[in-house]
Amino acid sequence: MASPLRGKRILDLGAVCRQPAHGLAASMASKLCMAYGAEVIRPLGPSGEPFRAAAPLLPQGGSALDAFLNHGKARDGHVPFDAAIGDSAALGEYARETTVKVRLSVYGPGEDPPTSELALAALSGLLGIVGEADDPPTRLAGHQLAYAAGLSACTGLLAAFLAGGEEIVDVSLFDVAVWLNWKGATGMLIEGMPLKRGNLRNYWQVMRAKDGYVALVYQEKDWPALCEMIDDPRLGDARFATTQARAANLVALRHLLEPWFAARSRADITRGAQSRRIPIGPVLAPVELLANAQYEARGALGPDAKPRLPLVWDGRRIDVEAFRAA
Amino acid sequence: MPPDARPLSGVRVIDLGWITAGAGTSTMLADLGAEVIKIEGPGAPDPFREWESAANDADWWNRSPFFASTNHDKRSLCLDLKADPGRAVLFRLLEGADVLVENFRRGVLASFGLDPATLRERFPRLVVAAISSQGETGPDRDMVSYGSTLEATAGLAALTGAGDKPVITGRDVNYPDQVVCLFAPGAIIAALLERERTGRGAHLDLSQRELTTFLIGEEVLAAAAGAPTVRRGNHDPLHPQEKIVRDGADWLVVNGATRTPVRDAAALIEAPEFKNGTAIGVTLDGRPAKGIPFRFGKRRLAVRQGCRPLGADNAAVLAEIGYSERDIADLQASGVIATAPRRKNTV
Repeated sequence: MASPLRGKRILDLGAVCRQPAHGLAASMASKLCMAYGAEVIRPLGPSGEPFRAAAPLLPQGGSALDAFLNHGKARDGHVPFDAAIGDSAALGEYARETTVKVRLSVYGPGEDPPTSELALAALSGLLGIVGEADDPPTRLAGHQLAYAAGLSACTGLLAAFLAGGEEIVDVSLFDVAVWLNWKGATGMLIEGMPLKRGNLRNYWQVMRAKDGYVALVYQEKDWPALCEMIDDPRLGDARFATTQARAANLVALRHLLEPWFAARSRADITRGAQSRRIPIGPVLAPVELLANAQYEARGALGPDAKPRLPLVWDGRRIDVEAFRAA
Repeated sequence: MPPDARPLSGVRVIDLGWITAGAGTSTMLADLGAEVIKIEGPGAPDPFREWESAANDADWWNRSPFFASTNHDKRSLCLDLKADPGRAVLFRLLEGADVLVENFRRGVLASFGLDPATLRERFPRLVVAAISSQGETGPDRDMVSYGSTLEATAGLAALTGAGDKPVITGRDVNYPDQVVCLFAPGAIIAALLERERTGRGAHLDLSQRELTTFLIGEEVLAAAAGAPTVRRGNHDPLHPQEKIVRDGADWLVVNGATRTPVRDAAALIEAPEFKNGTAIGVTLDGRPAKGIPFRFGKRRLAVRQGCRPLGADNAAVLAEIGYSERDIADLQASGVIATAPRRKNTV
């Protein structure tokens, strides 16, 4: 079975970072390294595991966040390490001699003012463009900005290993957030066009169905199929004839569509849409994913339903659970 | 390799990636030093070429700013993979390639004679990154989705939103398409590391829906243990004092005495930390381009060449793999290679 980081020892300084966002990013990056076969050591500071009481909590006690990120990591390990992941202070204290360092910061090396994922989302422009026009700016659920920084950190670390030799990989949480919002930044730089929450270009919407919600997602090319599915002659109006006209009449379009969606189940809507190749899908709660046929068929969740490394390598999962099973 | 060479120097990538998930993954490999050849068919150019903002000029297909921003530092080959001679070119390119990135609808690559088993057998050192909505297998394999569809089906939308209603990020963000471009290049590099040890390439089956669920992993774990799922809106339990408040027409994130503005893109691009950052780069021809979400201390990573016009590198790429001028002229005359799409802009 593939195990690309087998034999590598990674120092996860996520528990001793000064700020939670840095700590979460380091924890995610080292979790990924563990799935790729590395041995991960996560030392604790005097106050212990910082995420041990972090939401969401498990009914039997403990934190699901801590369990998801840190299960399987060792507390102690002997030097030398092949790489260390942490903030500037933690790397200075624990990993001065480590060959490859992944250094998390807010804005760049040594620039670490107090922050949070919400503040980073606000500063990056990402927060302001998510949500509907009349609602407050909307934060993505969970710890998306820290985890995205963790994905970047892991990719940078792997690239440093491939290059060989000493390296410092710097991951700025702010840069990662702006990178996620590259369309906002690029649109502004090129066209002077700031994207706005609920803007008319952004016509994809969540619609209420009989038993929950569906995501109404479509492109120009899908419009005839959508009209055929809804089968309401009013959709033939000039108000809805072109992308531009639909954007200008988005509220009217929404009111017209609402009763059709509200009268049908998520499954019926999805079936009808998918048979016409319209990319509509049901809004599923985490509990609904536990018995999801697609996830079952692919083994996407582990024995305790923990999502596994989202990667099938030559037809097999390669993470720790797969390794144990083998 | 010189000590300051970029990590993927000498790695050759064939990019069949579309829009963001595939094309952005290949771009990050280019940022890390790989040589990337982007292949598009004259009958099937990257749909990003005709998303809104593509001007209606005579060569509209070269005008989309989002396409150009994504596809810097690649050579462009416009090749008809539905034609036998076009597939022959692709096969020859794959013989000399290290990585193939694709995010076609499942089944399309197989229709070109490149199903996963054939790819592994015929190109044993090739790392294939097959990026898709649902993965290569399973009952929902053929479900059609864009990024925000996957926010819904992966569990993220159900947890997101300040009110009662789920929220998707929509066309302006399409979050699952962004994060896969951070994850998939790592998986590809992991496979290149594994190949150094074993000599064997790999077929990497990457499901964007699974990645999106992975990124709310703690919530799935909690739900499985019987904990009720809580919609937290804008509340982050790690910062319990923090809230979003109105400030006239604007919004602020307030935490004690700290007040952080909710910036729009106009304020963002004026911010010093944006100008000093790496998220958006500038190509040598002076255009903004999607940048790099990390920097290396010893090896300089930077956006370099701007996006090439469609098919601009047809002759050079074919000549490198042994096609004569006559062959190239014949392929051009028969429409197997081209410099313009066959259809008109539909936007």
